[in-house]
Amino acid sequence: MEEKNSTAKRKKNKPKVSIVFKSILGIIILLVVFSLIVSFMGFNNFTEALLDQYSDGAFRTADTAVMEFDVSKIEDYAASGGKTEEYITALESMERLCNSSGSTFIYVIRPDLSDYKHITFLFSTINNNSNYTRYEFGFVRDTTNEEYMEKYRKLYEGESEQELVIRDKGYIETDPHITAMVPIKDANGKTAAILCVQRQMDNLVRVRNRYIIKILVVMAALMILVIIIQSIYLHRVFLRPVTKITEEASRFSHENDLPEKKLSETVRNNDEIGVLAGSIDRMEERIVKYVDDLTKVTAEKERISTELNLATKIQASMLPNIFPPFPDRTEFDIYASMDPAKEVGGDFYDFFLVDDDHLCMVMADVSGKGVPAALFMMASKIILANYAKMGKTPSEILSAANSSICSRNREDMFVTAWLGILEISTGKLTAANAGHEYPVLMQPDGKFELYKDKHGFVIGGMAGLKYKEYTIDMKPGSKLFLYTDGVPEATDAEKQLFGNERMVAALNEKPNGSPQEILKTVRSSVDAFVKDAEQFDDLTMLCLEYKG
Amino acid sequence: MTIESKKDAGKLTLAVTGRLDTSTAPKLEKTLKYSYDGVTELVFDLKELEYISSAGLRVLLSAQKTMNKQGSMKVTNVCEEIMEIFEITGFSDILTIE
Repeated sequence: MEEKNSTAKRKKNKPKVSIVFKSILGIIILLVVFSLIVSFMGFNNFTEALLDQYSDGAFRTADTAVMEFDVSKIEDYAASGGKTEEYITALESMERLCNSSGSTFIYVIRPDLSDYKHITFLFSTINNNSNYTRYEFGFVRDTTNEEYMEKYRKLYEGESEQELVIRDKGYIETDPHITAMVPIKDANGKTAAILCVQRQMDNLVRVRNRYIIKILVVMAALMILVIIIQSIYLHRVFLRPVTKITEEASRFSHENDLPEKKLSETVRNNDEIGVLAGSIDRMEERIVKYVDDLTKVTAEKERISTELNLATKIQASMLPNIFPPFPDRTEFDIYASMDPAKEVGGDFYDFFLVDDDHLCMVMADVSGKGVPAALFMMASKIILANYAKMGKTPSEILSAANSSICSRNREDMFVTAWLGILEISTGKLTAANAGHEYPVLMQPDGKFELYKDKHGFVIGGMAGLKYKEYTIDMKPGSKLFLYTDGVPEATDAEKQLFGNERMVAALNEKPNGSPQEILKTVRSSVDAFVKDAEQFDDLTMLCLEYKG
Repeated sequence: MTIESKKDAGKLTLAVTGRLDTSTAPKLEKTLKYSYDGVTELVFDLKELEYISSAGLRVLLSAQKTMNKQGSMKVTNVCEEIMEIFEITGFSDILTIE
């Protein structure tokens, strides 16, 4: 299933439009634009040159015709009705000229001088090879358009001596022609009629069309050539290596291991593509190495995690954790808990019977957190318990523990500790405090209050310290609450501390509950305060109720 | 936490701002480790210090021990909350607090 997915994904990597196609398309567009420009320029040049040639010929014919034309007889011709011998001779002579000069029409017209809108044909000859029919003598027709009118007028009014009308709509014109017009002037130099020579420009169209077709053919051939050459070239130097690179990148993204053959060995370009191939090789090597490292680190982490898990259990089992711990002792009730912030913590509590009449209690906090603190905590716990079991007083126990910890404490770790020994029979509690939090005491019918005891310096900080002892008289119903700084320094999301006041208030919520209930109340009060914020310090509490 | 250090001949003043706890104490410890050379007077300016945990106290203790060998150390501008911590832990007895 997964394999199927990966091939499907790989297919998606195929480009929508090949880069070869894109680059060839660019060249083709360039060629097309180029050929259009060349065609247009050639077309114009041909037109100009051929027009010049045609108009020259037409005017020459016109001049010849005018020369042969006997202007003095023009009125006779006009009056002849096209039937006199004179007229027919002149017509035949013009017809010969028409045929010999290759003109299509040669005709003599007299326009309606009032507005030039009509013309009357005096002579009209036609080339034998054309399909047109000639206008009969005296035929009257509308002037073709305003251009003709304007030109007739100019010739009549002496504004010009020759005029040319070009009928050419451009490429594939069906019937392009030019008409050369010259005035026929009488003895006084006045225009009596207009002689027109019309020539078909069939050559023009043919030459131009042939030219354009040639250009198109050449361009088409060129395009095919370019497409072939460019395809081969691009495929060789560009597409093939790039395809190899994309395939390799795609393969790598799915398989995440090094290829059998390096890209730089299969792609041997000496250009940017070669550089890219080399970069991808290096990138893959680094990623593979990184993944390897990461795998190792993860495995290592898992191992540490497993060990820490075990350490958590060992640490927890080191503390007295079976409640009630002394089921047969009715003189007192005790409950304690420890919640490390990390897997293992630096806090600890401890309590044990030194002898039948003496209960020793310890609440301590090692500097820092985690494994270093936990190791130090284990040592501290054992040292304190050992000295306590030797029957020393609290101050002696702390001093002795301080000396032995200071003697081998290169890392300047220290532990704050409150240690008290309760004489069960009398309720006399003897205690000493090595830099630990104030205990909280509740005497019968009173409230929990901070007991501001005398403080000594932390254990392990400095050698040769002495600790002061004090005593508290516990009465039946007295309660003692011990804790580490994790309780007052529990912090909410806004970085506010829980504080001693809230803690004392929580203790006084149900002051008459059992030690276990009291710890539960404090804990839920802390939880309600910190809400979702991460617990960042160990949370350890102990409560003793003296029953007498 | 930020540390601003100022050295004037043999006198090194470190102004510590923010929270000095398990996660930030190693940074101060490292800074100190590389600055002890030639220091005869070390001053901690704790005016802007908001909180100090036992890990932070440990660094101060280390510094105090080191400076006992090569000069003197004092802690200045201690606010009420921090002072309370110093008193509870007994650090007020071993540190020179001004």
